[in-house]
Amino acid sequence: MLRMSNLSKVYRTHMIETHALRGFEIAVAAGEFVTVTGPSGSGKTSFLNIAGLLEEFSGGEYILDGVNVKGLDDAARSRLRNEKLGFIFQGFNLIPDLNLFDNVDVPLRYRGFNARERRERIEDALAKVGLASRMKHYPAELSGGQQQRVAIARALAGSPRLLLADEPTGNLDTQMARGVMELLEEINAAGTTILMVTHDPELAVRTHRNVHIIDGQVSDLVRRAPSLVDSAVTA
Amino acid sequence: MFSYYLTLGVRSLRRNPVLTALMVLTLAIGVAASVSTLTILHMMSGDPIAHKSTRLFAPVLDNRPVNDHDAPGERMDNQLSYIDVGNLLKSGQGVRRTGMYGIALVLEPPEKSIAPFWTEGMAPTRDFFAMFDVPFLHGQAWSEADDTRGADVVVLSRKMAAKLYGDANPVGRQLRLLDAPFTVVGVIDTWTPQPRYYSLQSGNKFGVSEDLFIPFATAIRHETGHNGGMSCSTRTDGGFQGILRSECTWLQFWFETGSSADRAQLQTYLDNYAADQRKLGRLQRKAPNALFDVPEWLVHMKVVGKDNKLSAWLAFGFLALCLVNTIGLLLAKFSVRAAEVGIRRALGASRNDIFRQFLTESAVIGLAGGVLGLLLAFGALALLSMQSNAMAAVARMDLPMLAFTFALSVLAALLAGLLPTWRACQVTPAIQLKSQ
Repeated sequence: MLRMSNLSKVYRTHMIETHALRGFEIAVAAGEFVTVTGPSGSGKTSFLNIAGLLEEFSGGEYILDGVNVKGLDDAARSRLRNEKLGFIFQGFNLIPDLNLFDNVDVPLRYRGFNARERRERIEDALAKVGLASRMKHYPAELSGGQQQRVAIARALAGSPRLLLADEPTGNLDTQMARGVMELLEEINAAGTTILMVTHDPELAVRTHRNVHIIDGQVSDLVRRAPSLVDSAVTA
Repeated sequence: MFSYYLTLGVRSLRRNPVLTALMVLTLAIGVAASVSTLTILHMMSGDPIAHKSTRLFAPVLDNRPVNDHDAPGERMDNQLSYIDVGNLLKSGQGVRRTGMYGIALVLEPPEKSIAPFWTEGMAPTRDFFAMFDVPFLHGQAWSEADDTRGADVVVLSRKMAAKLYGDANPVGRQLRLLDAPFTVVGVIDTWTPQPRYYSLQSGNKFGVSEDLFIPFATAIRHETGHNGGMSCSTRTDGGFQGILRSECTWLQFWFETGSSADRAQLQTYLDNYAADQRKLGRLQRKAPNALFDVPEWLVHMKVVGKDNKLSAWLAFGFLALCLVNTIGLLLAKFSVRAAEVGIRRALGASRNDIFRQFLTESAVIGLAGGVLGLLLAFGALALLSMQSNAMAAVARMDLPMLAFTFALSVLAALLAGLLPTWRACQVTPAIQLKSQ
């Protein structure tokens, strides 16, 4: 599903060069649920941004679902992002002026689906996260946990191959966090690959694999489902 | 996708309503200022008889004395003497020709309940009506025979006919002019060409047309004084008859040719005519004999003054200032949308998608500014119309100007939106998404 080889990311100012990632190697197989952990500043977010095609990398190779993303222009990267990826953020990142229906509609608009297909997908996605009855509500009218469910519905509506989650439970209380995590596990069980950055060790132990990053490199790889990891390496 | 962007644009009007209102108002004021001045300029500089304006020619001859202080051809006298008008009328040149002059006279209405009053009119030859496409409501122009014998006949304007006879058809009725009974032969429909190209020499470049028309020969026979300017280079004695014999210029003349290509032939005729007159001791200055078609005549007569053009430039300068303000306001409006841009980019929007969305929002603001600007422009034009009849004639918005207002407003908003939109496209989604 995703393979990075000898990947590097350097942030340059006119005074300083910062190596966020160096010699970064990772392979994630289709259907895996992988957590990414590491201390602050270790490079987790840079990795996730590059994986999500939100940032360009400085060197190395990145293959996403069989597509070498190096050198793709903005339009091609955007299309790839829209078709293959779904995002879940710590801060939910819903558009406050749009109701739930219209928020979930955003990625589908860029996909070019017709009105009927968009409606079906939106209703289906919101039903999956238990918010079908609140389509006309605005984000501010929902709790944090509900907002994160809307964000998950939005990520799922386009049937992505890979779900990227950046500390999705970071802003939620324990009960809400558990609910969101269970939802992500259900999504993964249904076949969607998930890559999740987290600080929470309890969440990390619930996934197939935990990738620990220190100083921009993979320092430790804890395998919990050997069959999945093996298939990922050969992917 | 355009309908999606349009929906978002309309919704965005409600976001930051104070900022939106300021932008719309700024644009509207700029658009209203430039559109109202441009409307006046547009009406002033329009071609009042477009389909034949290159077939109508005003001749200019220089009959001043040799020792006149202006060099030949330097400052043209735009009117002609009675001698020249008489000769040109007999020339047979062109398919039609008319000589004319403005008159002011007392009209005695048929109904004794209406007191006699002064009115302004025109004394042309009959071709005037066909040459200038004057529409008739009742009756028709007087006959050639009326022209020849100087018959006491009159053509009334629609307004004058309504004043004297109400809704009735007055053709055949009589009224008194110049102390004689005149028979009404026609009533013209509303006819207000702007500018009043056919008689710019009278000084009224814009405004309503004349209240009545009597034959040129009739006005001469009644020794009707002219209402307008007269230029005499030499002393003139002998009253009205003396003026007719003199080189004083006070009459206007127009030729109509079959096609604009006949101009060269007409010019040759005019040059030959001047040469013949020179042999008779007239037109000694050998100045160029000029022919002006309608568009050239409007320029020659300075219908659109420099101050009108300057006003338009100033108005556009003001619009530019408003644009700069709008750019600032749009920058403020779009900068708070960085998070939304980040989200949309993450969900698959390309920079092009963001560019189109934000530019459409700018266009929606432009449309709103156009609607308000149009209302303000109508108000400004109504105020200007109160100044004078001439201003009322040109301070009118026509359909092309209406369309232009919206086009200008949207274009202005798009221009103003370019920089803020480009800035919005430069948002780094990763930073925005993390900072939320």
